[in-house]
Amino acid sequence: MNALTIIFYIMAVLMVVFSIMAVTSRKLLRAAIYLLFVLIGVAVFYLAVDYMFLAAVQVVVYMGGILVLIIFSILLTSHLGERLQVVKPTTMLFAAVLSLVSAGVVISVINGFTFITSTFEGDKLTVAHIGQQLLSYDQFGYVLPFEVISILLLAAMIAAIAIAKYKHQGKS
Amino acid sequence: MDKEALILFFLSAIAIVGIGMLLSWLVAPKSKNIQKKEAYECGIPTVGSSYMQFRVGYYLFAIIFLIFDVETVFIFPWAVVMKSMGMTAFIEIIIFFGILGLGLLYAWKKNALRWD
Amino acid sequence: MNIYDFTGLTRSIHEGLSSSMSPLAVTVTEFVIIAFAFMIFFTILGLVLVYAERKICAFFQLRLGPMRVGKWGLAQTAADAVKLIFKEPMITKNADKFLFNLAPFIVIISTFMALGALPFAKGLHALDFDIGILYISAVSSIGVIGILIAGWSSDNKYSLIGAMRSGAQVVSYELSVGLSLLTIVVLAESLQFSEIIASQEAGWWIFRGHIPALIAFCVFMIAGTAETNRGPFDLAEAESELTAGFHTEYSGLKFAFFFLAEFVNMFIIAAIGATVFLGGWMPFHIGHWAGFNQIMDFIPPIVWFFGKTGFLIFLMMWFKWTFPRLRIDQLLTLEWKYLLPINLINILIMAFVVLMGWHF
Repeated sequence: MNALTIIFYIMAVLMVVFSIMAVTSRKLLRAAIYLLFVLIGVAVFYLAVDYMFLAAVQVVVYMGGILVLIIFSILLTSHLGERLQVVKPTTMLFAAVLSLVSAGVVISVINGFTFITSTFEGDKLTVAHIGQQLLSYDQFGYVLPFEVISILLLAAMIAAIAIAKYKHQGKS
Repeated sequence: MDKEALILFFLSAIAIVGIGMLLSWLVAPKSKNIQKKEAYECGIPTVGSSYMQFRVGYYLFAIIFLIFDVETVFIFPWAVVMKSMGMTAFIEIIIFFGILGLGLLYAWKKNALRWD
Repeated sequence: MNIYDFTGLTRSIHEGLSSSMSPLAVTVTEFVIIAFAFMIFFTILGLVLVYAERKICAFFQLRLGPMRVGKWGLAQTAADAVKLIFKEPMITKNADKFLFNLAPFIVIISTFMALGALPFAKGLHALDFDIGILYISAVSSIGVIGILIAGWSSDNKYSLIGAMRSGAQVVSYELSVGLSLLTIVVLAESLQFSEIIASQEAGWWIFRGHIPALIAFCVFMIAGTAETNRGPFDLAEAESELTAGFHTEYSGLKFAFFFLAEFVNMFIIAAIGATVFLGGWMPFHIGHWAGFNQIMDFIPPIVWFFGKTGFLIFLMMWFKWTFPRLRIDQLLTLEWKYLLPINLINILIMAFVVLMGWHF
């Protein structure tokens, strides 16, 4: 048991607890804040394996971006005193069975998968390494995904605007 | 060393607020008064709940922000290697920005960037 | 080689501790020293900046400002802080108590963690990451969550409107701050603060980077002022219409934490600007003027750092007391139709300049 394993298990337990609290909380914004704690846990995992860049990206994109978007939509639609309805017992049972089955599938796939160890040589992964891999167009370069991501983002933006602006055009 | 220091900074920030709040809770006077728990508005009792309908514009800006936020994340590694990779990196970023520029242009033309 | 180098001091502290303690105890002692140093610095910084703001505001309006407590009112903000501790913490009746109390924590955590990564002088640098700039923009992007939940949980219309405006503004301008810094990263080839400073030994990037660097600096100052919710972009707490914005319902020390975070955030923005554009603690050097450069080297790096940062803070206060407040539509137009496109094109121009080797 070294420090890394201890941190891993503490964070894992915390993340499981907060995930359960996020889905069982009947106050919407509290659920979002529990999700924030889960996301911090993921960032700590990346930090624990010395992947600083990915940890920072996790914070920027998930906490500073997606979670802010979620909180914005909660602020737009729900108010303080509001409680979420408790679903019917049959629905709850169905959801429980479904999540157990999917958890089983995920665990069995992870157990059966052989993870390839990193071929990275050198003591520390720097942003410069990531940049070179991202932009290189030789055999193991990622230039195509890099450019395709811009198309994906373009599609996301057009779709968001089309949906948000749809009603306005319909009315006028 | 640096990773552990991050936890240190996280905990000290919590300590600052925690100690401050505890201190204030210990020394501050407490008095019960129903009026005091009212929301601070303009002196007369509050009408209705604090909930109000916001315009969808806030949400739209949040989505466009998210897209550019993801884009910025990809530019970070690019900016570091731009000088050493030279022409390759320059051409690649022109394509990347060009496609995203189309998105911004689309938002602009569809009046998604206008506050009305 | 340099009498102002702090590396020697930190090393001798480390060696002194190592001689009498086990490695674990040394690490713990060092951490406690660092934590206390930063806590004290954080508090003093807040007091000094609030005092400076009040004095500068007063001078712009031909007043004297605080004069009663201590000489020239120097102890005024400390007295205010003590007063705030003795104020009763209040919560509105329908407020979500958990989120209401959590919000100051999130805001202070974000600010304090960003403060740790600033390079104050050579060797006086707590967190020097390879991803420096990305780290700072990551931790400071969490602060907006604190603002949003503070506004939502206090059950007040003003707070909610203030939080929505503030959130939209902070996230929008965050983009421009990041992109304008990246313009200089293209030149400096690193995100690490110590390397960015080292690359400016021959001259500060704002002078060596031609016009794109100047444009980036202007964009950075505008966006930085807006990101910290300061005037003329302070419509989130426009006191004539929204009382105090998202922290209307906060009283006593909890209010003080939001206030403190706002001022320290201003310091962080100014310090990043000073580091990336103006060379951080690097003294002002002109080409081959050996005599002049030597005289400049006599000024300690820490004075250079705080001098440059102080100058940028003064600039931001000057903005606040000079320009009228913007409307929210003007604010968003400024970001999305002007600053963001200018920024994107500016990065391309900078990349082209670097490609052709036109920079100095």
